[in-house]
Amino acid sequence: MKRPPAVLELISELKRLPGIGQKTAERLSFFLMRGTLDQARRLANSIVKVKEKIVLCSECHSITESDPCDICRDPRRDPSQICVVEEPHDVFVLESMGEFQGKYHVLMGAISPLDGIGPESLTLEDLKTRVASKGPIREVILATNPNMEGESTAVYISKLLKPYEVRVTRIARGLPMGGDLEYADPVTLKKSLEGRMDMP
Amino acid sequence: MALYNTEAVVLRTINFSETDKLCTLYSRNFGKVKCVAKSARRLKSRYGAALEPLSYIKTIYFGKEGQELYRLNHCDILKSFQSVREDIGKLYTGVYFLELVDTLVHDGESAPHLFDFILEALRQIQKQKDLEILRRMFEIRFISLLGYLPNLSVCLICKKEPGKSGIGFNFQRGGIVCPTCRPRELSETHFSVGTWNYLKKLLTFDIQYSDRIKLPKALQDEIEQVTHRMILSHTGRELKSYPFIKQMVSL
Repeated sequence: MKRPPAVLELISELKRLPGIGQKTAERLSFFLMRGTLDQARRLANSIVKVKEKIVLCSECHSITESDPCDICRDPRRDPSQICVVEEPHDVFVLESMGEFQGKYHVLMGAISPLDGIGPESLTLEDLKTRVASKGPIREVILATNPNMEGESTAVYISKLLKPYEVRVTRIARGLPMGGDLEYADPVTLKKSLEGRMDMP
Repeated sequence: MALYNTEAVVLRTINFSETDKLCTLYSRNFGKVKCVAKSARRLKSRYGAALEPLSYIKTIYFGKEGQELYRLNHCDILKSFQSVREDIGKLYTGVYFLELVDTLVHDGESAPHLFDFILEALRQIQKQKDLEILRRMFEIRFISLLGYLPNLSVCLICKKEPGKSGIGFNFQRGGIVCPTCRPRELSETHFSVGTWNYLKKLLTFDIQYSDRIKLPKALQDEIEQVTHRMILSHTGRELKSYPFIKQMVSL
């Protein structure tokens, strides 16, 4: 027996989400059908609300409900430090640490020659403008991912910001906390040695 | 279910599902293969940096013979080529080579001599300062190793050596056309005797001695135009990484 058209439509919409295949989409749609109408409405409303209310911050390009975002508006944040990240969700990952008191800049991706994503696809011009505008920025912390794309983006940004009087730093790469030296690969070990620090 | 143990170069890695990675490897013994690396995105993943593109690794993967996607089991880095990744010019050149391999080599075609050539090319990126000549040499040698050896010795039509400038190249038939026969045969570009001589030299020169050739500045553009058109005639499209090399020159 064929599935009703409404169910097929829901499955095909769910399948468009990342990491969701045919089977998972079917399981999710049957889960939603078993729930109450109120639950389905709440889910649908929250999806619509996100699309209606969420905008990108005009300063840092992070996601926010009000432009500029809470972090950019906060007078207690240190405007002399900017942490550059690839995606908006990286801001929330760093914020969950609760230690960083500076501001952010979201690139909206990373340079990836294999995917044809070049510097012009990112918010690099805005970053340059932020640094160039005789503001209080003294340090740009590059917190892109420690993979090929993230590393090449970091190298590119450091070249881009060379003409400006600003300190460009890269987050440390090396062994993860709780890791085991025995299982570390040579690249990670080399990076951890390069990034060694004096004991306090 | 078979277990495969081989050396490989990582061509490409993309994120796959929540914590996995999907990687394309060019292996010495089994040619191009695609593998899923479970939990490779986790911070404490056992693969570490081994699955970064350009890495030369020793790997074990398993699956049914001839299947499209294998399951990665183990990786050890033999050479990371980390210094290539830390220099934009070298990185873009390396990525361009990897994309060429990924585009022109079919899955599961084993060719150890091609593997050795690719590995040597990556070593040369690390060592060399003049990447321009290395790129030209890789393009023309790689195509010939794949079996698409261009005929650069004699004219496609009259089978004679072209004596003067204005030599044409027919990309469809993969060979040169002498100035006399050019009006009779469709040739999409033409070049000087100097370029012709350098193209022949690039085709036969061992890539590990690529630093011993110097390309005259005046011929660089002409040579690049020919080798690039040769690549295009086989790929059928512009490679995504190619504009990055041009951009890098202006950086």
